[in-house]
Amino acid sequence: MRSKLLTFLLVLLFALPFALLGLLAVSENWRFPAVLPPGYSLDPLRSLVAADNDLLAGLGRSLLLAGTVAVVATTGGFGLARAVARSRWAARWEAASYLPYALPPVLLAVLIQPFIIRLHLSGSVGGVLLGLLLVALPFATLLLRSCWSRQATEYEQLARTLGCTPQQALRRVLLPLAWPLLRTTLFQTFLLAWFDFGLTNVLSVGKVRTLTVQVFTYVGEANAPLAAVASLLLLLPPALLLLANKSALLRKP
Amino acid sequence: MSALLAVSQLSKQFGGQPVLRDISLTLNQGDVLAVLGRSGGGKTTLLKVLAGLETPDAGTLTLQGQNLLPVPPNARQLVYLYQEPLLFPHLSVFENVAFGLRIRHVAQAETDQQVRELLEELDLAAHAQKAPNQLSGGQRQRVSFGRALIIRPRLLLLDEPFGNLDAQTRADMQQLFLRVSRQHRITSLFVTHDSREALTVGTRFAYLDRGELTNYASATEFIDDPRTSIRAELAFWERIQQTASPSC
Repeated sequence: MRSKLLTFLLVLLFALPFALLGLLAVSENWRFPAVLPPGYSLDPLRSLVAADNDLLAGLGRSLLLAGTVAVVATTGGFGLARAVARSRWAARWEAASYLPYALPPVLLAVLIQPFIIRLHLSGSVGGVLLGLLLVALPFATLLLRSCWSRQATEYEQLARTLGCTPQQALRRVLLPLAWPLLRTTLFQTFLLAWFDFGLTNVLSVGKVRTLTVQVFTYVGEANAPLAAVASLLLLLPPALLLLANKSALLRKP
Repeated sequence: MSALLAVSQLSKQFGGQPVLRDISLTLNQGDVLAVLGRSGGGKTTLLKVLAGLETPDAGTLTLQGQNLLPVPPNARQLVYLYQEPLLFPHLSVFENVAFGLRIRHVAQAETDQQVRELLEELDLAAHAQKAPNQLSGGQRQRVSFGRALIIRPRLLLLDEPFGNLDAQTRADMQQLFLRVSRQHRITSLFVTHDSREALTVGTRFAYLDRGELTNYASATEFIDDPRTSIRAELAFWERIQQTASPSC
């Protein structure tokens, strides 16, 4: 009974923001102290499918950016973590991987902005992607460091003596062994890029309007229904990813 | 009879520190060379050099007359078995044993038959579809052994393979190793720090200390060398026996 109540409360806690955002998205002139909106309209939702709608374009841009960051950072992090593990100065490299976290992402963006301008990437998706990778890649490297333990080396060496080429050992042994952590890293780096506002806002100079940037814009304009629709869109992919990763997240240690 | 394996003047250093010094040995088909030695004596490095996982600084290494040094580990047909069974956790017992055949693209029907026969021989048939974490320590080591045997290695390199097992399971595994070794005429280099295990599994004996290998012509020579401490251990047990039964 107690656990059922706890589950109910947790579900309520998780679902409440979605319900409130849904209500806000279809409300008209909903102001304090009214408990419920005085009227409802589907216009903000209808505008989603309009040809010139910026929200769907923002969703596409965000998916492209976060998806690319997740794949590139996880792949690169896997390789870098291996290089760090096999380096003579493994501890120093590992410590260096923490350096990007000494600065908040927005400050990092300000520092790298001159280089982004010189590379003619300012205000482009490529520039934002580069900035996000500077944060996500060390994060992925640190997360994937445990994939390259002494035991992983032993597995690799055993596979080699059983007849695997280095590529076969990677594909048939190392990647399956690392898969749970790789999946977590893909998920985490996706979220890191998906929800980033500060770094993206600085490097995009208002030109790359991701969904997160749009939410902040609508909030700034006091456009509650559109901010709510954008927020719902913003929450949708992470919620779907959470659902897809449920088994991994609930995995017993 | 020409030797199956011939190692001559093999040396290896790590950071200027010699780990193997002019190692020479020969092995004939079906020999089990038991190499006794303490931790840090260079046993693991010797096995890794033979397996192709480490490159020696000097020396020659031939197997059936073939120079092994330029041959990569996957083409040597020498299997290295660790102290841990290192079963692949994402594969069932059946697939762990079949691993070497899958790599070699052996036909499905033949793979099935070979794996089934080997699992039967190792008394693992009932566990074929289990995951490695559902097995006991001894069963895991048997699967590991089967995974190595199925590719018919030219030489088996065993690095204290039963070191993590309890005394009874360890004794059972030693007997299993002896039985299978004789049945399949497997040539192996068995590294251990346990003199009793060395005497149980070995047909030939060597002692490795600080990178220097001493080969013995007979078991008696091996037992008589004070460095192996076998005589001292025998004397200890005799004293215990005398203390326990003073009237005899």
